[in-house]
Amino acid sequence: MLDTLVFVTVLLPFLVAAVLLVLREQNLRKVILVATAGVLILSSLAMLRGGAFIMSPAPLWGSLVTLGDFLILAVVLLVGLKRKNQIIVWLTVAQIVGLIWFDFFMVKDHGATPAFFADDLSLVMVLVVSIVGSLIAVYGIGYMKEHEEHLHLTTSKQPQFFFFIVLFLGAMNGLVLANNMLWMYFFWECTTLCSFMLIGHDDTEIARKNAERALWMNVLGGTAFLFGVMLLYKVTGTLSLQEILARGPEFAVAGGAILVPMFLLVFAGMTKAAQAPFQSWLTGAMVAPTPVSALLHSSTMVKAGVYIIVRLAPIYAGTYFSNFVALFGAFVFLATACLAAGQSNGKKILAYSTISNLALIIACAGINTPAAITAAILLILFHAISKALMFLCVGAIEQKIGSRDIEDMRGLFARMPRTALVAVIGILTMTLPPFGMLMAKWMAIESAHGQFLLMIMLALGSGVTVLFWCRWAGLMLATPFAKAAPEAQDGTIRGPLYLLAGLAVVLSFFSPLVYNGLVAPVVAMYYKTAPYVLRYGNFESATGVFLVYPLFILLGLGFFFALRQTRKITAAQAVGPYMCGEQTSVDGKPGFLGPLGQNVTAVSGNYYLEQFFGEAMLSKWINVIALAVLVIMLFGGAL
Amino acid sequence: MTKILLAVLALVAAPILGALITGVDRRITAWLQSRYGPPILQPLYDVLKLLGKQPMLVNTWQALCAYVYLVGAALSVVLLFTGSDLLLIFFVLTVGAVFLVMGALASPSPYSQIGGQRELLQMLAYEPLLILVFASIAMVTGSFKVSSVFELSRPMLYDLPLMFIVLGYALTIKLRKSPFDISASAHAHQELVRGVYTEYSGPYLAMIEIAHWYEVILVLGICALFWSTSFVGMIVLVALTYLAEILVDNVTARLTWRVMLKSAVGMGLVLTVVNMLWLYAQ
Amino acid sequence: MLGNLINQGRIKSPWVVHFDCGSCNGCDIEVLACLTPLYDIERFGILNIGNPKHADVLLVTGTVNQRNKHVLKNIYDQMPTPKAVIAIGACGCSGGVFREAYNVVGGVDKVIPVDVYVPGCPARPEAIIDGVVAALEKVKKLLGMTA
Repeated sequence: MLDTLVFVTVLLPFLVAAVLLVLREQNLRKVILVATAGVLILSSLAMLRGGAFIMSPAPLWGSLVTLGDFLILAVVLLVGLKRKNQIIVWLTVAQIVGLIWFDFFMVKDHGATPAFFADDLSLVMVLVVSIVGSLIAVYGIGYMKEHEEHLHLTTSKQPQFFFFIVLFLGAMNGLVLANNMLWMYFFWECTTLCSFMLIGHDDTEIARKNAERALWMNVLGGTAFLFGVMLLYKVTGTLSLQEILARGPEFAVAGGAILVPMFLLVFAGMTKAAQAPFQSWLTGAMVAPTPVSALLHSSTMVKAGVYIIVRLAPIYAGTYFSNFVALFGAFVFLATACLAAGQSNGKKILAYSTISNLALIIACAGINTPAAITAAILLILFHAISKALMFLCVGAIEQKIGSRDIEDMRGLFARMPRTALVAVIGILTMTLPPFGMLMAKWMAIESAHGQFLLMIMLALGSGVTVLFWCRWAGLMLATPFAKAAPEAQDGTIRGPLYLLAGLAVVLSFFSPLVYNGLVAPVVAMYYKTAPYVLRYGNFESATGVFLVYPLFILLGLGFFFALRQTRKITAAQAVGPYMCGEQTSVDGKPGFLGPLGQNVTAVSGNYYLEQFFGEAMLSKWINVIALAVLVIMLFGGAL
Repeated sequence: MTKILLAVLALVAAPILGALITGVDRRITAWLQSRYGPPILQPLYDVLKLLGKQPMLVNTWQALCAYVYLVGAALSVVLLFTGSDLLLIFFVLTVGAVFLVMGALASPSPYSQIGGQRELLQMLAYEPLLILVFASIAMVTGSFKVSSVFELSRPMLYDLPLMFIVLGYALTIKLRKSPFDISASAHAHQELVRGVYTEYSGPYLAMIEIAHWYEVILVLGICALFWSTSFVGMIVLVALTYLAEILVDNVTARLTWRVMLKSAVGMGLVLTVVNMLWLYAQ
Repeated sequence: MLGNLINQGRIKSPWVVHFDCGSCNGCDIEVLACLTPLYDIERFGILNIGNPKHADVLLVTGTVNQRNKHVLKNIYDQMPTPKAVIAIGACGCSGGVFREAYNVVGGVDKVIPVDVYVPGCPARPEAIIDGVVAALEKVKKLLGMTA
């Protein structure tokens, strides 16, 4: 049974991907994709039921993975040579040499290390990848059809597209389930390659450029990862993640030596999670079709970066290094939230807010208390759902209105009532209690208590976060009183939107169960204590209490009552907006009656606070500071 | 059981108390301007009248937002009175504030739009300050729970004098007092028509007024926590603070949002750091 | 019971919005004079609210002309009921000396129903306050509150 499940979640996507690559028949592709999504979702749930496990597949697979490593590196090297990018070439050569030496000369006991192991953290990640990822893949069907119609392509490039999308799902599942660090490295490189290919999918000048940038930054991370694994092997004498975690405390006591490989691995995680100073690859990746942004660059792939950081957290708990990770995370959280506030491009807002939330997860890993790790895991889960939802909404909106600028989304409710509502729900689940994201943020801030520098950055950051979400939600609703026109939308687009929105709300409602079933055990396993006591479903600890159900019930009742009252409102009670008594309306767009009786359309815009949050000016400083913190992080131990 | 009683008490008494405080505020303001001023019950009359007016809306979102704003504000006061978590109270307060802004932005009127944007800037200024105040309270008590403040043996004001000033800053912004009444004024000072309130009218404006009373009680309640050891101390502290607010309101002119943002965040951070250093030194 | 309280509130809290319909500013200055400490209309609960959507009483000064009559109508329409209109000054009441001008419609009552006329050129603040009080008396009668 277990063999089958691991096979289905990891290997099946690789096989399906291969089929999709050669398949040109549209309808069949649709059936295969939906079926794969269904199978992935079911098997991930079945795996969750099964609980923790360890598994070693036949040795043949180990050799295949080694082969795969070199294959990917060769491809990356070729790309580097073709693009004449020195950084990519040299980093890849370093990786090839390192890998040859490591694989054939250093590691003696190939096959002795179990390839896969799972605890609840891995299982949560598998759920995120399989459920959210599959829904995005299904959304891709409808999206890509329209996307290609829009581009007037003569031959469809969808086979390649879905090849990489599905391949990526398998690679992500493999990554989070991997126990053998070399396997993890293979899957890590897989995601790098998928990301590169998908960013460059549209093959425009800017897509190629941004793909190349993403590649060199991720190859840098991959190099750090490989050398991190090598050093880790040297220090611990094992490649088994589980063994390293189990012996974590003893390494922590031994001090210094373990921290260098930890730094390299965490650094690799930071590049993958696009933390400053590497944030530019993720914002650049927004040129890719929206399903790619949703899948790779917000809800799943970048989560691989934070996964490794949270995964290794117990090993570096209580060290100076951990404190710096927290500081770094909190700084990037604040900095990228500011960058998001200065943007009007919807996808860029989402990109920066993704980086910001990932940084919060990293800060939690750095704070490294049971409560903080709980916050980190919950953030991974809830953020993946809400952010994927937001991306899919922006994608659907962009295809309809031809713009991803939030200023153009003013009054969107009149044109796309359902999508606009789903987007508002998405925003509310990102920013307000009693939803899961906010609960996790509450945990994060409370666990930062006592570390005042962190606290200041978290406080400022969450203020800025509310700013850019709230105005986006508000302006989408700016419509005159009228029955909104019904909205036609492909089922493969609407389905995932509704499912994700439902999931975001329902899962928040059951957050105590999620905590009890998924988060508490894994935290207790590595930290020996449970951070929260659940009483009537309320989270309680020595430092505070979060009332889940009272809030849900009271706010829910209030909301329900409000909704019922608003239902009673009739058109007779509606008036135009206040325009100093000079209002006119042309095509439902309100304006002023100007000189000579001419209509002057009312135009308003958000404050983007260029002087505080200007991207060009801020990025420079953010990169310098982030880099400085990273350098101190590495050499701080020597001081 | 006592908690439920307290919750009901908070729900009923807070708006009445808030109305009376607002009435006194208007009276004192009038006195400072050498006027006679309206009766103490004037805010109640205003709201009663508004409740009786014809509902008039630009779109249905506004009604929804007004209701949710009221629920959020009321709930945060209930949470405060039942001794819940300070950070949680803050987040629930944000629910209300976010919906108020969403409702304002949901109208295409430029006045309401700019009001909404300015309200967002005000939130940007006071939210970090409130979180910092709560965090420093947690530094002293070791917990974010309101109930743990009452277990202290001496008033928090001794440990956190500067944080009280930070709270005063946030208070001025939250109570829509001059010099920070930039999104809408508590009084009928005209600026951008009525800023964030422009498009809410009749019963919906009444709801927003009531929600504002809840918020007044909430912020004054948080002030009271700084002298948690005696009931009289609480009353005196709150009364003095509020008098100071009225005085500031009457002697200052409205500032721009840039000055507000810079001074609130700048002053807030400096005062916080100094206070924290002092706390560590002790 | 609640109805009574609401009626009480209506009497005690007339918020006014002031619309200058083309006045020479004489009456406008007198309207603003009512807000000063000397006259202090806030003691009657009167606020100069500046937004028709919040106001109960519309104070109109000046003549109505062809250019601004739709604005006057619009502002009136945007006031939720119950509401009252007070025409202030000779121009507001009848068009005053500009009555015969080519672009002048006339008094305020040519466009919207007027409840109280306050004469004067300009109207004295006392007269304006008296006008508001008279409007309130009218409202009282309307609500059946005159015992």
